[in-house]
Amino acid sequence: MVNVMKGILIECDQAMKQFLLHLDETVALGRKFIIQDLDERHLFISADILETLQARVDDLMDQISFPLADRGL
Amino acid sequence: MAEASKVIKITLQSKNLQCKNLHDYLKTLPTEILDRLYNHPTTCLAVYRELPEIAQHYVIRILFVEQPVPQAVVASWVSQAYSKEHNEVAQVLSSLRVWQEAAIPGGLPGWIMNSAFKRNMKIALLGGGKPWSMSSQLETDSKPRDIPYLDSYAMERWECVLHYMVGSQQQEGISADAVRILLHAGLMKRDEDDGSPVITREGFQFLLLDTPSQVWYFILQYLDTVESRGLDLVDCLTFLFQLSFSTMGKDYSTEGMSDGLLVFLQHLREFGLVYQRKRKAGRFYPTRLALNIASGQSRSQLDMNREGYIVVETNYRVYAYTDSNLQVALLGLFCELMYRFPNLAVGILTRDSVRQALKSGITAEQIVGFLRLHAHHRMVAVGPPVLPPTVVDQIKLWENERNRFTFSEGILYSQFLSQADFEVLRDHAQDLGVLTWQNPQRRTMVVTRSGHEEVKRFWKRYSKGAG
Repeated sequence: MVNVMKGILIECDQAMKQFLLHLDETVALGRKFIIQDLDERHLFISADILETLQARVDDLMDQISFPLADRGL
Repeated sequence: MAEASKVIKITLQSKNLQCKNLHDYLKTLPTEILDRLYNHPTTCLAVYRELPEIAQHYVIRILFVEQPVPQAVVASWVSQAYSKEHNEVAQVLSSLRVWQEAAIPGGLPGWIMNSAFKRNMKIALLGGGKPWSMSSQLETDSKPRDIPYLDSYAMERWECVLHYMVGSQQQEGISADAVRILLHAGLMKRDEDDGSPVITREGFQFLLLDTPSQVWYFILQYLDTVESRGLDLVDCLTFLFQLSFSTMGKDYSTEGMSDGLLVFLQHLREFGLVYQRKRKAGRFYPTRLALNIASGQSRSQLDMNREGYIVVETNYRVYAYTDSNLQVALLGLFCELMYRFPNLAVGILTRDSVRQALKSGITAEQIVGFLRLHAHHRMVAVGPPVLPPTVVDQIKLWENERNRFTFSEGILYSQFLSQADFEVLRDHAQDLGVLTWQNPQRRTMVVTRSGHEEVKRFWKRYSKGAG
């Protein structure tokens, strides 16, 4: 017997994977979305969460960036 | 594993603007059109000019040989160390139908040169044949145009098209035909609400190309549509090649040109590839845009000698010494503009402005390429590197930051009962090229969405056979 599941394969670095695991554990997106933790750089997640997830990661990047340029007048 | 990640990269590659060179384009043409094209010496010469060096060498060597040449003989012309290059070149010549495989009595495989190509290449080199359609004698133009005039005319016309694309106000508008080509090329698309053309991500990428590449890309798209306009593709291409061999600043006659070609000429005129004072003037001047055309992307000496105008500082400020709205609008694609003076615009590269550009489909490579291409000569003088490395790196980092993870739709197969089952299915998926991830220890694998059906069918057959 083989188990077959549809979803999305994510490839990312380890830090990003930990962030995704964190989102999953704390149910930050309203529900769990990781179907299977494949290895340290791959995750298999449900397909319908992708957009929310991308927005969330974008938010994260916004939070941890610092405006470099001195606008000056 | 390495294999798997490669597949993902390919499936997820964003749709970038592909600018084909002359050969890539010709290869896409049906063979009968290619054969007809080779009936014109100009085309043969243009194709020959763009061949790799070794290929040019082969062509000249067998041009006067009236029988097939054994492939082994041709291969012996280059040393063994370069057999890879030889194979590539042989492939190029075959795909362009410059030569074809032919058996030699005795069973050896040989090459025979395309007879039309051979005949017309000889004419191109040795002279003879019919005079070019545009070479009829002309009385001297009472108001001859010099090269600087033609250059500025060509740029003005071409910038009209670009202006239209960025939607700036100072445009005088372009014809409905040109708009159709832009739409057809996917550089613009109809807005869903009001149907007015809006620029697409390919369009943004197009804007940041250098002028000759833009013209070439645009003309390729135009050529795609010529047949639907009732023009003959072979005639148009031949005419373009003739133009590319013409002399800057010399006028040519329109006498003897067919009606179709005259229509084509008017289109070229609109885009600034040729100059005509009046539609019925009976003469035209090719401009630099047209001269560059057949040399595809490998031109450098013929490039528009335009002054660079952009200065980038390490503090991310961008100064553009220009009074052109178009150039400022282009900068505005990825810069936050701060001041605008009559001959200077000042902007700043910020994370937000660059991300905005990245979101609209421009790549970091294109932004950097644009800045480098138009760098002010003072920046070029102190370089290399022309641009501050910090700024270049940061733009690339901003791009990478958006790609923290890559994703692809897929189907997860798990809980195989035996290692053998897993391996059979995995190997099959791998052979089909649909396997994206696998782990033998956990007997888990992921295949692409498109490959799922095929793998499922195989699994059913397999498990039935085994059971």
